[in-house]
Amino acid sequence: MSVELISANHAAALSAILAARANRTARGFCAGVYPITPSTECMEYLCSQEIEKGNVIRADSEHNAMGICIGASAAGARSFTTTCSNGLAYMVENCVAAAGYRLPIVMSVANRTLGPPWNIWADHGDSLLLRDLGWLQLYSADNQEVFDTVLCAFKLAEDPRVLMPALCCMDGFILSHTMSQVDVPSQEQVDRFLPPVDIPQRLDKTAHTLGQMEAPHASVMHRIQHHQAMLGAEQLYAEIQDSFAEIFGRRPADPLVTYRAEDAETLIVSMGTLGVTAERVVDQLREQGQAVGAVRVRMFRPMPDTGLSKIFAGKQRIAVLDRDVSIGFGGVLWGEVRGFADPATIVQNYMVGVAGGDVRPEHMLNLLVDLQQRRESGAPQIVEVA
Amino acid sequence: MIPIKSKPSTMIDSARSDLPGDISFPLEIRLHGRGGQGGVTCAKLIAAIYAQTGLNVQTFGDYGAERSGAPVRAFTRVDREPIKNRNKVYRPNHLLVLDAALLGPQVLDGVAAGAVILLNSAERAEKYAEQFAAYRFGVIDATGIARVHGIGTSAVVIINTTLVGAYAKLLGLPFEVLGEAYTKMGLADDLAAAKEAYQKVSIQRPASALSGAVVGGELPTSLPPIRPLTEHSEDIATSLKTGNWSTQLPGYEDFVAPCNYACPAGNDVVGFIQALKISGADAAAQLLLRTQALPSVCGRVCPAPCMRECNRHLMDGAVNIRSLERWISDHAETRLLAQKTDKVHSLAVVGGGPAGLSAAYQLALQGHKVTIFEKNTKLGGVLRYGIPIYRLPDEVLERDLERILALGILSQCDHPVDKTELERLHREYDAVIISKGFSDAMTLAAAGETLDGIEQGLDFLARSREGELKLSGDLVVIGGGNTAIDCARSALRSGASSVKLVYRRSRAEMPAIAEEIEDAIREGVQLLSLRQPVAFRGVGCVAGIVLAEVELGEADVDGRRRPLVTERTTEINCSRVLLALGQENELGLLPEAWQMRESRAWSAAEALNIWFAGDCSTADGTVAHAIGNGRLTALAALASLDGTDNGTFPLRPGSLVAPAQVRFSYFPILAPHQDRHKVLENYRNSFEEVNLGLSSQEEAERCFSCGRCTQCDTCLVYCPEGVISRSDSGYRIDEEYCKGCGICVAECPRRAIDLNDKGLSDVS
Repeated sequence: MSVELISANHAAALSAILAARANRTARGFCAGVYPITPSTECMEYLCSQEIEKGNVIRADSEHNAMGICIGASAAGARSFTTTCSNGLAYMVENCVAAAGYRLPIVMSVANRTLGPPWNIWADHGDSLLLRDLGWLQLYSADNQEVFDTVLCAFKLAEDPRVLMPALCCMDGFILSHTMSQVDVPSQEQVDRFLPPVDIPQRLDKTAHTLGQMEAPHASVMHRIQHHQAMLGAEQLYAEIQDSFAEIFGRRPADPLVTYRAEDAETLIVSMGTLGVTAERVVDQLREQGQAVGAVRVRMFRPMPDTGLSKIFAGKQRIAVLDRDVSIGFGGVLWGEVRGFADPATIVQNYMVGVAGGDVRPEHMLNLLVDLQQRRESGAPQIVEVA
Repeated sequence: MIPIKSKPSTMIDSARSDLPGDISFPLEIRLHGRGGQGGVTCAKLIAAIYAQTGLNVQTFGDYGAERSGAPVRAFTRVDREPIKNRNKVYRPNHLLVLDAALLGPQVLDGVAAGAVILLNSAERAEKYAEQFAAYRFGVIDATGIARVHGIGTSAVVIINTTLVGAYAKLLGLPFEVLGEAYTKMGLADDLAAAKEAYQKVSIQRPASALSGAVVGGELPTSLPPIRPLTEHSEDIATSLKTGNWSTQLPGYEDFVAPCNYACPAGNDVVGFIQALKISGADAAAQLLLRTQALPSVCGRVCPAPCMRECNRHLMDGAVNIRSLERWISDHAETRLLAQKTDKVHSLAVVGGGPAGLSAAYQLALQGHKVTIFEKNTKLGGVLRYGIPIYRLPDEVLERDLERILALGILSQCDHPVDKTELERLHREYDAVIISKGFSDAMTLAAAGETLDGIEQGLDFLARSREGELKLSGDLVVIGGGNTAIDCARSALRSGASSVKLVYRRSRAEMPAIAEEIEDAIREGVQLLSLRQPVAFRGVGCVAGIVLAEVELGEADVDGRRRPLVTERTTEINCSRVLLALGQENELGLLPEAWQMRESRAWSAAEALNIWFAGDCSTADGTVAHAIGNGRLTALAALASLDGTDNGTFPLRPGSLVAPAQVRFSYFPILAPHQDRHKVLENYRNSFEEVNLGLSSQEEAERCFSCGRCTQCDTCLVYCPEGVISRSDSGYRIDEEYCKGCGICVAECPRRAIDLNDKGLSDVS
């Protein structure tokens, strides 16, 4: 175990490399990569490392990068890639296939605004494009969490009861390019945590086709199986946390990270680094005697519905902060979680920090003033932040 | 969120004792620099120093406008607790300014009284005393120190590692805390510069009872309106004058193409080829004829050092410059008119060879009266008597001579000049230019050299040129220069049964034009290289030559390998030998009291108006050199007569276009257009011209135009800011918005544009 001062992009890459080496006694590792700001550093780091029985292929597009990952995974290798924004949009067609083939590919996304208008800063709209495709989705809020999440994502995606691809998301620049201390475990520890992957459907000695044409009934059954496997992942994640804690001596973050939420009357719900800023706001308001708490949705797919329903129960007001806009609807997170609140609770959506604005505690305090004045839920609000 | 316990608590305790007591946490640090200065690494280095004391750190850049030279910010946060602040730093406790030219309200925004400021500036701290009265501040010339330590390049000095040394001192940290962080980040080589900054930083304490300037970081009360995307509008130029960021500015200028530099005649090669390409042969001739008196001649017999140096040589073959010159001379009707001059000089030129003709031509072009004195019956010198007519037909020489004489030059042929005559010319003319060429041909000093049948090649060529010359039997030519090749090919044409060429070094080292050697071999000349004649055999008349084998030793001063004659010999039979070993340079013309120094005649300490031009002065031995030297000598003589500068400048260092400055990938691969050759069944008895030159002027398209803008629009297309536009004379750069990124310079296929320092102070 060593402490390294590294960026979250490098933390994700380092984690993937340790996972890659952990599969050296099996089918090895193969990644297809293509650069795009702000994910480029992650792929650069991957390219710079010697990986025993590993191959990082510089693809000629994001679409082909995912194609390479699909091929590698279908051949039984551990696989990983990284992209974001319009690169992810270009990759989507193959992301659909990766999920449909049920291949445990892990992808790091440094969330970035989709263009045009061109904008390189943080926004969750890119990874949310994959919302309905059958990918696991995890959102981190600091460098250590990014590192841990990539390891856990491999473990979860490759579990024979899950077997589907996983997205590990971090806010572009705010995390991807910020350096801070990260505990990096030894290869031996990672080997213990993440045994060699076995992909049962892999193309091997028995000739067969992946993703063949199906009649309606077969396809609906496969959808049901995929859905059930995804729903089960939340429970499996708890097992993974236990195993992680046992081997590495620290526990990775929960699917839902609550902060002074239990006795709170008002909740701030968010994803990514907004959640950390929300905790600072909670501390400030608690000092003023206000019963405010926060909950950060780390696991977006599967959606931890039961957990959220429990946390939301009995709250008077909930502010759902979205770093995204579903044009013509409102915040995506708000749309997902508002139904878990009691009918009497005022649930108000604020889309804040969209397209990369620097959301400060002052912004959130202003929103809470607005929330406290409301007598009922209103239309989603998009907040201008420079 | 689960707190990170990333280090043992004992480490924190011991570490804290290293830090001065007046640092409070959370500590926020902001850096202001320019893209390329290493500001983000500087922030990371500072973070690493705090991290090694066991504190939690966070460091990041402010991304978006990170182009070279643009103002950029970087941030570092330090705390005892896990850091939850994910915002930029609005109220820094420590402010580092990497470039004093950036100092302004935005840089000082949010910096409260008592904060720590470190400034990179060559100015004295007192200059900032008033502005920074509320702060503890340090001033250090990090740029100067880093430059001395050679950190970065001479153009871009990297100051981050130096500045951190001063930062440590400003905070009262022991210098030793830097070692570990620098080593871990691979920057240990910069510790000496950091140490110097640590020792030199000038520190001022805050004056008491002063309040801080501004407390920034307030949320903006209103944000500006944004126009809809669906509105029809033109792009609106940003009000941000981004040109203010730049430290360098591109500028169009001419650089020297290697062909131009290599041309002994001083021709503007790039100029005439581009003129040919764009406007045709007459336009090209207008330019060529300024420096070149004998284009038809040089277009045929020049060894073309320009082609050896041509940058295209490294891609798909040099541009066929010699034959383009021939094309121009064969196809242009243009001739230049003599200029009018107020002060007409009268000059005598002794010797009507290439140097003399070139000198006379330049003098006449400038409106002066010139008389050429030639010892032979006709003008031309070596051109007429030393180069065979199948290479240089009479009518070609006559065409050039006619153009030269049409400028009003007088010639007196059959007029040898001796010492007495020279004294007369010196008296009667304003100046005399002597261009009498080489004198005697060299000999071997081998046994039997006086046998009949052995003669000087030049004598043979002169006789051959004069008319019918019939040979028979086996002939040997000794030598490896152009005269030797001319002798061999002429002998073949005159009926010799066989012709052998004996040369003491290898073929690669023969001074003759490579194409001529190839032609000779094609025509049937046998080459015996690495052979040295040591004796001639025969009774009365030569019957054979004893040849010793030669090995090549170390390179000589001229770069060619020295021939070492061995004792292994062979003998060949022959009935005739031609010696083509080069010529001596013996003046024998100056009266006793005069000497030649620096190509000029002197009577004791007095410089006379007598100049020497061409081979008799330089011994360069090519027509092109003689033409060039003739021209320069004429200009020098005129400058001396008029008391002016002769208008020639030495090459500015770095102005030659190197191959690396040509973007080869821009140009499609295109093989050179070769000269057409008339293939004869039998070369014997035929002296017609065999090289027919090019079939079109298409070869001109292959010229890169090194160092000369062709208005190809590459700069305009590649400029990421769109600040380059066409203008009457080429292109215009909008300096208000040019960030000096240098992409136009990097993309220019031919180095017609370069980055120049804007010469700002305090900017590295």
